[in-house]
Amino acid sequence: MADVTFYTHEAESSNLQASTDPSAPDHWVTACEVVAQCYRNKRRCLVLCNNQQQAEALDDLLWKRPLDGFIPHNLVGEGPNGGAPVEISWQQTTTHTRPVLINLADDMPSNLQGLKHVFDFVPVEDTAKQQARERYKQYRAARFTMHSLPASSIYENQNG
Amino acid sequence: MSDVSELFKEKGLLSAAIEGFSPRQAQLEMSQAIEKTIKGKSQLIVEAGTGTGKTFAYLAPVMVSNQKAIISTGTKNLQEQLFHRDLPLLKKALASNRQAALLKGRSNYLCLHRMGQHSGNSTLLEKQTLNELTAVRQWSSTTKTGDIGELKTLAEDARVLPLVTSNVENCLGRDCPDYEDCYLVKARNKALEADIVVVNHHLFFADMALKDTGFGELIPEADVVVFDEAHQIPDIASEYFGEALSSRQIHDLARDIEVVKRTVLKDADQLVKVAEKCRLIAADLRILFPYDPEKGNWRKMLNRPEIQAQMSKLDESLNLLYEVIKLHLGREKEIDSLFERVTQARDKLKVLTDINQTGVSLWYETTPKHIILHLTPLSIAKRFASFIEEVERSWVFTSATLMVDGGFSHFQRLMGLDGANTLALDSPFDYDQQAILCVPRYLPEPSSWDMKNTLLEVAIKLIEASNGRCFLLFTSHAMLKEIAHKLEDRISNPILVQGTTSKRALLEEYVNNKKAVLLGTGAFWEGVDVRGDDLTCVMIDKLPFAAPDDPLLQARIEDCRKSGANPFAQIQIPQAVISLKQGAGRLIRDETDKGVLVICDNRLITKDYAKIFLASLPPMKRTRDLNQALAFLTELQE
Repeated sequence: MADVTFYTHEAESSNLQASTDPSAPDHWVTACEVVAQCYRNKRRCLVLCNNQQQAEALDDLLWKRPLDGFIPHNLVGEGPNGGAPVEISWQQTTTHTRPVLINLADDMPSNLQGLKHVFDFVPVEDTAKQQARERYKQYRAARFTMHSLPASSIYENQNG
Repeated sequence: MSDVSELFKEKGLLSAAIEGFSPRQAQLEMSQAIEKTIKGKSQLIVEAGTGTGKTFAYLAPVMVSNQKAIISTGTKNLQEQLFHRDLPLLKKALASNRQAALLKGRSNYLCLHRMGQHSGNSTLLEKQTLNELTAVRQWSSTTKTGDIGELKTLAEDARVLPLVTSNVENCLGRDCPDYEDCYLVKARNKALEADIVVVNHHLFFADMALKDTGFGELIPEADVVVFDEAHQIPDIASEYFGEALSSRQIHDLARDIEVVKRTVLKDADQLVKVAEKCRLIAADLRILFPYDPEKGNWRKMLNRPEIQAQMSKLDESLNLLYEVIKLHLGREKEIDSLFERVTQARDKLKVLTDINQTGVSLWYETTPKHIILHLTPLSIAKRFASFIEEVERSWVFTSATLMVDGGFSHFQRLMGLDGANTLALDSPFDYDQQAILCVPRYLPEPSSWDMKNTLLEVAIKLIEASNGRCFLLFTSHAMLKEIAHKLEDRISNPILVQGTTSKRALLEEYVNNKKAVLLGTGAFWEGVDVRGDDLTCVMIDKLPFAAPDDPLLQARIEDCRKSGANPFAQIQIPQAVISLKQGAGRLIRDETDKGVLVICDNRLITKDYAKIFLASLPPMKRTRDLNQALAFLTELQE
């Protein structure tokens, strides 16, 4: 059964590393960093978004990163057979072929079987924070091993 | 302070004499580095981004150095630009009295002897060719340089050209009765006397590899050699360090033997018969290969019995020709030169059929009528390195596209220039503000069948948003044709397609016709300079990896693998990076240029190595949203 790690964001957590897109919410910047660590550690991951529009926004955010942090990725519906190291989706998957799932959607993913690690986020904004708490409860009720870390800690542990 | 800093500074000689000249830090830096290289007799590799002003940056220190210099560039056009525009401007600015000379390849000069040969036997020529010959003869009485380019009415591929110019093989050299009046000799002598000689890479390496002997060689005289467009020289040098023999050469040999028989050696019937036999056997060799032109591995082909048999026939008949022509030696100057050619053809054939040699690629290519056998060294690094070490001389290699992923090691490895100094100069352009790089979303995989439909749709949108002011650059001729054909039914803009007329005419048409869109492959990825609103968008269909079935590339890949290295990283990626940089470089040519580069290859998103490509391109704003790119284009139109 997968481990679930929540990264929590505080209102004053502007100590996150500068994003390439200032309009991106803090927890997206954190998500990009989690993606980057997965890629560095050669762990293939799936990023789940609410909808296509969000998925494309994340795609743009990843491609605009400085090149020393380049992350090869693809959206669902493009890319080579088997996909790039990172795949961005807005559709629930019935079978997971990648060990890591990064959840940016509002609801808990319907299928978590076959995963080793799930990353999720507690954003700053109130409604989103409420939704995140809901998800946290659902994961716990489903008996996943839960971890909760401040978002800033991701930059301390570069080995992911 | 060094001499060149004085020239380039504000209110210096250059800004006083050249309108619109303003000091640029990168240009000065390059110029100083070259001055140091000239003084220190060392080697320098400079990548100077578009807009650095590299031409003046190398011409100025050469001009003030008072040393003999060769400037070698990529094409005849660039040679003419340097000689007729840049050099005179600089010479005037510096009030210099250094003598410059322009030297083109041998095929650019009228050969009086060959023109004379074709006067008497008009039965061998078609009517069109005869008309051209008349035009050449009229012009020949007035020309001073003998540069056939002066005769503007003659097409670039006019049939008469090979008849009134010479090549290494049919040139009689010092034995020629017209040697005293020979335009090539005059041009070469002028070059030998000049302080600065402008040549092209082909000419330079022919000279260096001693492939065109019989005249004073240029290089031994030079103290300084500057290569502009230096990214081209590894391939060109490889070509000249190799060997080639074509059925056309044998065909020409037979024809020239017949001409000699008809004009001076009336009794040489057997000679003509044997030569004709050689010609037929060579022509039959071509027929053993598929109808459509191709390239392939000659070593493998030599294993096939029918090819082997044909080659031994060719060998036998060339030997017979050798014996027969030997009998006529000393009777005529032409016969002596033809004997040389037969001997050379025979020797080359031996080298080109020796399948046991290593370190070279043996390959062939076919054209509709002919076959060419090639031997190309897999690496020229050692040879070039030892050539450079022979004499104390300064060497400068410059281009806008030499670096791969921030380093020069690829170019250094190819040319054996491990000890050279390097200098990287960024373009002064503000790419982040001036240009957008877009890789559209949801593209099919690069080689999939539905790619052409996607390309078509993307192209239509870009043509509309840019009002036709765009280049569509392709990596393959097949895709170019297909898209050009399909576009006809979908857009009203005039469509200019490479291959329908000369590159120069096509570009002229593009600039004059403000709604036209241009589709090109290879030739249009390089050396095209369209500025301002006339070019706001470049679309590239695919990352320009060399065709993997290219026999020379295959041999290099094999060789690289044997040495334990990764050929994809060492050979294929760097080559494609340089090509992509060239193609992308068409877009922004000026400080005020703006535009969009669209690359329809999602490997720039999905592959690890995309980073190397992206890091080697100018730092344009990146997006995956085609609509954003289209909006930028639409804004430019307003």
